[in-house]
Amino acid sequence: MNGTAEIAAPVPAVEKESAHEGLLAWVSTVDHKRIGILYLLAAAFFFALGGGEAMLMRLQLSWPNLHVLAPDTYNQLFTMHGTTMIFLVAMPVIFGFANYLVPLMIGARDVAFPRLNAMSFWLLLFGGLLLYFSFAAGGAPDAGWFSYAPLSEQPYSSSNGTDYYVLGLLVTGIGSVAGSINLLVTILKFRAPGLTMRRVPLFVWMVFNTAVLVILAIPVLNAAIVMLLIDRKFSSGFFQPGQGGSPLIWQHFFWTFGHPEVYILALPAFGMISEVIPVFSRKPIFGYEFVAASTVAITVLSFGVWAHHMFAVGLGVLANSFFAGTSLLIAVPTGVKIWNWIATMWQGHLKLTTAMLFAMAFLVEFTIGGLSGVTFAAVPMDWQLTDTYYLVAHLHYVLFGGTIFGIFAALYYWFPKMSGRMLDEHLGRLHFWLTVVGFNLTFLFHHALGIMGMPRRVYTYPDLPGWGILNLVSTIGASIMGVSVLVLARNLLHSLRHGKIAGDNPWEAWTLEWATTSPPPAHNFNKVPPVNGRRPLWDLHHPGRTDEELQKQEGGARDP
Amino acid sequence: MLYTSKAGAVGDSQRAANREDVVVCPGLPAAGVHAMSNADLHITSPPWFPVFHPGSPDAWAIQSLSGFVFAVCAVILAIVTGLVVFCLWRFRRPEKREEPPQRFGNVKLEIVWITIPLLLVAVIGIATVFTMKSMAAPASRPPDLIVRGHQWWWEVEYPQPGIVTANEIHLPAGRKWLVELEAADVIHDFWVPELARKMDMIPGLKRRMWLEADQPGVYQGQCAEFCGAQHAWMRFQVVAQSPADFSAWQAGQLQPAAIPSRAEAREGQQLFQQMTCVTCHAIDQSPGALRTAPNLAQLASRYQIAGGALANTPKQLFQWLMDPQKYKPGCKMPDLKLTDAQAHALVAYLEGTP
Amino acid sequence: MKTVKLGMIFFLVSEAMFFLMLIIAYVALHHASSGSAQAERTLDPAKTAVFTALLLASSFTIWLSERGNAAGKHFLARGWLAMTLLLGGIFLFGQGREYAHMLSSHVTISSSLFATTFFTLTGFHGLHVFVGLLAMSVVLGLHFSPAFTGLRGSALPAVALYWHFVDAVWIAVFSVVYLRVL
Repeated sequence: MNGTAEIAAPVPAVEKESAHEGLLAWVSTVDHKRIGILYLLAAAFFFALGGGEAMLMRLQLSWPNLHVLAPDTYNQLFTMHGTTMIFLVAMPVIFGFANYLVPLMIGARDVAFPRLNAMSFWLLLFGGLLLYFSFAAGGAPDAGWFSYAPLSEQPYSSSNGTDYYVLGLLVTGIGSVAGSINLLVTILKFRAPGLTMRRVPLFVWMVFNTAVLVILAIPVLNAAIVMLLIDRKFSSGFFQPGQGGSPLIWQHFFWTFGHPEVYILALPAFGMISEVIPVFSRKPIFGYEFVAASTVAITVLSFGVWAHHMFAVGLGVLANSFFAGTSLLIAVPTGVKIWNWIATMWQGHLKLTTAMLFAMAFLVEFTIGGLSGVTFAAVPMDWQLTDTYYLVAHLHYVLFGGTIFGIFAALYYWFPKMSGRMLDEHLGRLHFWLTVVGFNLTFLFHHALGIMGMPRRVYTYPDLPGWGILNLVSTIGASIMGVSVLVLARNLLHSLRHGKIAGDNPWEAWTLEWATTSPPPAHNFNKVPPVNGRRPLWDLHHPGRTDEELQKQEGGARDP
Repeated sequence: MLYTSKAGAVGDSQRAANREDVVVCPGLPAAGVHAMSNADLHITSPPWFPVFHPGSPDAWAIQSLSGFVFAVCAVILAIVTGLVVFCLWRFRRPEKREEPPQRFGNVKLEIVWITIPLLLVAVIGIATVFTMKSMAAPASRPPDLIVRGHQWWWEVEYPQPGIVTANEIHLPAGRKWLVELEAADVIHDFWVPELARKMDMIPGLKRRMWLEADQPGVYQGQCAEFCGAQHAWMRFQVVAQSPADFSAWQAGQLQPAAIPSRAEAREGQQLFQQMTCVTCHAIDQSPGALRTAPNLAQLASRYQIAGGALANTPKQLFQWLMDPQKYKPGCKMPDLKLTDAQAHALVAYLEGTP
Repeated sequence: MKTVKLGMIFFLVSEAMFFLMLIIAYVALHHASSGSAQAERTLDPAKTAVFTALLLASSFTIWLSERGNAAGKHFLARGWLAMTLLLGGIFLFGQGREYAHMLSSHVTISSSLFATTFFTLTGFHGLHVFVGLLAMSVVLGLHFSPAFTGLRGSALPAVALYWHFVDAVWIAVFSVVYLRVL
């Protein structure tokens, strides 16, 4: 597959995807759709582990001075919870959806390097298992998911846990970089004729930007953790003040990775929302160019804000002011998206499917998380609120209320395409409401707990006024979230067998993945429709009222 | 915020009446030091929202900035939520088959909703920089107080009078002190929400911040950077006092450790020397006194022990000595396998009750 | 541009970030501990300059190999590729000698921050050189296989691009560490 010209011609149908059957077919697959599903399954597995860790933590914290867990255990759990959710759940889900959908959305047969794609998945899985092996090998890492030095150095972290943290992340990191290279080349080289970069679905555009962030940011993490490992194993002093080293360099390096990382987690969710909201408003996305351009602004700016994670370090007024400025600035392009999503719904004909419910809830939840982020950019406020439960609230509102809600919307939207069956809408609504109630009950009052003085990463706390009751409410919320996940699991498993047959395009959507069967054949398309705009299927079904013509009528906006 | 005790828990101030639980300031030598009661220190119930209960000019400055920023955020959230709910109510068309007018964008609108947020963040940014500058602490002049973070306790040093204590900071109310922060092992963070910003304590570096309390009182502080197994119980108190009370406290700290009068306390003193306590803990202000573990001079005057895991009462101190790992698992205080009698003797010595 | 070459470019971008961070760590820390200055004196810039020249020459020879391959002149392509391998191997040999000299002068990875940052930076570079040699060997081996009908467009240009990158990183490392430009 060298260029895009070959795809326009019909491809002979392939009878069987591979020479193998059953489990071996899945283990040996190089098909992007199967690899995508493998990513999603792996993510689900680690989500159960990460969620279990969270439940145990919430149990220990449900009342002051409990002894459900020893402090040592608690510290391993919170470290593993964060590391798992970020690297082994959110990133794999994102790669899963990206792998499955991007070739379909651009009218391609597969990704550029199918075997590299498979390797990326297996690296993720084995990296994750390596990390979890630490539990059996003397103890999991327990210095927090960002593993500050010198706490993560010898002698303060004397178990092998931190070594497994480094090795596990190196392995998954290589997989992420390889996967991103694959996506970048695929998007640049394998688009169907007529599908210019200014016409790609916004999910594809967001994945493109995410992949750029991955190849720039993950190597920074790799450099930092390699140095940490050298310190630990060879007694060197990169981050050891006693040997002339600098704990601050760890922080600078880590957050130079860490901040782009959170946009790696957010942008694909933005892409998912950008696909779901237009379809269920029955209108095109409002301000496509501005949503796309604001994404680039975020990608670029995300490398200029890292020290806002270090405002309490005492870097000085000048440095703090610079990073406050960039951090406040990065709120603006994010806001642009929110306004455009709302404008998309405005005067639309809203269909309140479960996917749409999650997308609309995302708008509110992510705004809460984004705004609490803005409060941190006002540095003196950060000086009170950082490293407290207020920060725990912020991060969960953006990562769960944002990323995960986006992923749930994507799941309900694209499950029919992947499986050929519809998810049950009644169970979907139940899942939605349990999630909204559970999530907000768990995390809303964390804002208050931070303002009440509760620091993060404490295995227990004193009986100060209000701390007990708010923590108890949070634990109850977490239990409801646990139940919600069970409802989702039931819906997924039941619908795989008994869901209503979906057909090619159950949502009457407009992008190319809906121009083939559900699920698609191994070669994806028997014939790719002509592409003359951003919504090929709309154009196909509305000759004379294509996007190009409509935009001309609206006046001003040019379809490129 | 006088904390009385239940075993292993720090509770509410109402139980101060119970004789067993009241913390008294010793007799550790009996020279001019008087018992500090709630009334002496104008202690009130702990505030629900310390961050919104500013007790110093710096805390007020943060509070003002916070009020403004929270207000802006609340308005934006209300607008977004309102619009989403409005769309939900007004534009649901579950059955409608025909498509709505297809709109693609509006550049003027984009300019509006880029410009207004830009202006808002500019204003927040300017306010931020001004507030930061007003709180900046100088690097040059000698500090009034040096606080060093250890796993998992606070070393507190007063350079001028040459006092070293632990886990409790006394200062005169109404005076702005320059604090220098260091760390002995890993990164810690000094945080007293009612009085000041947080500041990291980083091994190998020195950091400066201002500390001031408008009114006398006891203010809660804690470590706010995860520092290992017992980060949760690395708490401390800032005790702001009237100038007279503060001088009295200082004088008391500087008294050398006297030979106790009671026999049990004398036995406790001997045990203190013999049972390896002295290999970690100093109990006076002699130069070169050990800083491996909290300095126990005038221990009886403190509100809490074990970094806040326990209140400082004879009963709780006894329990701590008998089994420190039970109350603060992973801490560096070993189980000395004391007999009851030994522990009682040590308590008598350390609490100095005549 | 060919797909494989584009993929290689993105890969090299990620590698550039990795080396950038190691260089930053070197610049920030190499004088931060006592013993650093002394350790730095065990370096031999003159000898290393010679090996550097050989490494840079190997970029030239792999370019010649690419030209030969594109023109269908297989003997030239193989010859120059073998020469590149030889030059790269000599570079690694030179690096090994320098390491041996430093280790025998008690300059080890933990003896000072100069040594730590030096060995980390040059060690990872050396590793990348080694991987490049492996890749070139594979390509050269393919050239000799009986089923070989000519290298398809991408493999040699992609490996060559990688090799040029490795040399460019070395120019940066040599400048920063031996010539002390920063």
